[in-house]
Order: sequence, then structure tokens, then C-alpha cells
Amino acid sequence: MKTFEECFTAWVDGQLSGEALAAFEKELAAHPEAAADRDAARQLGKLLRAHSTAPALSNADFFSLQLQRRIDAETPPRRQPVKPEREAVVSIFSRLAWAGVFFLVLAGASFFLTIPHRPAQPLAPSNYFAQVVESWPSDPGISATTVYNPEDNVTVLWLDGLDYMPSEQLALK
Amino acid sequence: MLRAAPGDAQPTPQGITVSQEKITSIPLSRERPGASPRPEDKVWSGLVYATNAAAPKEPPPELREFASRLKRVFGYNQFELAGSAAKPIDDDGESWLVPSKSFRLGVRARHATSKEARGGYLLDLQLFQDQRPIVATEAKLAPGSPLFIRGPACGKGHLIIVLQVQR
Repeated sequence: MKTFEECFTAWVDGQLSGEALAAFEKELAAHPEAAADRDAARQLGKLLRAHSTAPALSNADFFSLQLQRRIDAETPPRRQPVKPEREAVVSIFSRLAWAGVFFLVLAGASFFLTIPHRPAQPLAPSNYFAQVVESWPSDPGISATTVYNPEDNVTVLWLDGLDYMPSEQLALK
Repeated sequence: MLRAAPGDAQPTPQGITVSQEKITSIPLSRERPGASPRPEDKVWSGLVYATNAAAPKEPPPELREFASRLKRVFGYNQFELAGSAAKPIDDDGESWLVPSKSFRLGVRARHATSKEARGGYLLDLQLFQDQRPIVATEAKLAPGSPLFIRGPACGKGHLIIVLQVQR
């Protein structure tokens, strides 16, 4: 249902007719100034149409083109059309594959740059065999410790607590 | 601790009384003794005086094969031989190595027959310093696999006993 203002606008423009016109004119009985307002509005319309201030366009097509370009520039871009589902899946897998390749290269580079490497050497069985099975120091003040140095293939029975010996007692060769 | 046991104690060539029973009662490893030693094998012992010198002398020929390892393990740069001794390995019983007048080694050797022994020996060793027993040891040795015993401090260095089976 139209509001009073809409009906009033239609009545001023002469667009009401029939029952709608009769019903609205009944309503206007409570507004005696309505007829004067309608006459003033119609008079103003005539004056505006008779004395338009818009300049005459010398090249209407060029103006339209410029206007269209400006509208295009200010209009936000349209959203991309939704890709088909299969194309989207292929795109995801392609990105995952590239990401995998990238991280693989990164891991390889990190491995070679951060971890020291020795030149590959064939594993040769050690011929070293010396081994201290057990030791029994004969004095509580003496301790016997077995030390094995795998880098040099050396087994040492390390005795501590022995008496100092002057070097003069040695008969060096 | 080695003690003389009445009745079965045997005097050593140096007059040190050592219990034979005690020596043989030392628990042995899982090697199977019994095979006869090779007649050409002998056990060699050298007493080495290790020091640090500003101008180190060349090691004697007997120590050249050990010099680099001795240097790395003990941190000295000069190694002099204060004495050495070698005895054929036989199964007659105990042998005595006297590399110097201050040190002597009682050695009883048995041929080790396990595969990993590589023709080596199980040795029951007793080390004496000035007739005083220091330590008894059971060790496995094979040619090319010397055993080093770090002895007492001496002068400005240390004495090291090198023990090796030679073939």
C-alpha cells in the first residue's frame, strides 16, 4: 500500500485515476493547502523545463565514452568466475607438488651445508686385538684402569699410585 | 693380592716368592686354552721413558712402530728405551721378562683358539717394581696389537711398559 507521500507525488504528477484518485481526494479533504502545493509544484516543473541550465553537448559520443571509462575505472572489478572443480583440484595438487620440491631442495641444501661430511672410506676390519680382561692391583693404594682408545687402536693399563722413580735409576739406551 | 702360600710357593729367578696356586687360580676368560703356542712366537717387553723435550730425539728402532700412538695417548714427544727383553712363548710355564733392573714381568701365556683372537694369546701377567708386586693382569695379545702399561712417574716424565707378541 502506498504511503501518503507517494500518493501525493503521484497526484501532483497526474498519475492517479479512478478509485485511487477518488480515495486520495477524500483524504485530501483534511489538507486544504494540498491544492496550492500541487499548483506550485507543477509551476516549478514548468519553469525548470523551460529554463534548463545544462549546456548543449558539442560531441555527445566522446562525452559518453569518457563517462563510460570513468565509470569503469571506479567500478570494483568483477569476481573471477568459479573454476570447475576438477581444475581447482589440479591447481591444489600442482601447488603442493611445487611446495614439496621446494622443501626437498631446501632440506638437501641444509643437509650438505650444515652437517660436516667425511670422505667415504671403506670399512676395514680392525686388526687390533689387545684387551685387558681383568686386573688385580696388589696394593690398595694402587689403582688399575683399562683405557681403550679406538681411534688409535690402543689399549692401556693405566696404573696410579705407584712410587716415583728418579730418572737416574734408568739406563737409557 | 699375591701372597706366598706355604708348601706350594715357588721362588722366582729373582728371589721373589709368588704363589703358583694363586696365579693359576685367576679366573680366566671364555677363551679355550689348550692349543700349543707357535714355536716362533715370542713376547717382547720394553720399558719406555716418556718425556717432553724441546728438541725431541728420534725414537729407537724398537719403538718406531709405537711412537705415534704413544705420543697421542700419553702426550709426550720423546720416547727412550730404558730396557727390553723377549722370551719365546712356550707352554712350559711361567717366563720372566726383565726389561730393566727395576721392573720385571712374570708371564704365563696360553694360545687363544677363538676366531677373533687372530692367533693371539691369553697372558697372565704379573708386574713387579723393585721386587714389589704391583699388579696382576689377564690380557689378550696378538701380533701387531701391543698393550701399554702406564707405570710410575719418573724424572720429568713417565715410564711406560710396552708388551707385544712378536712373530
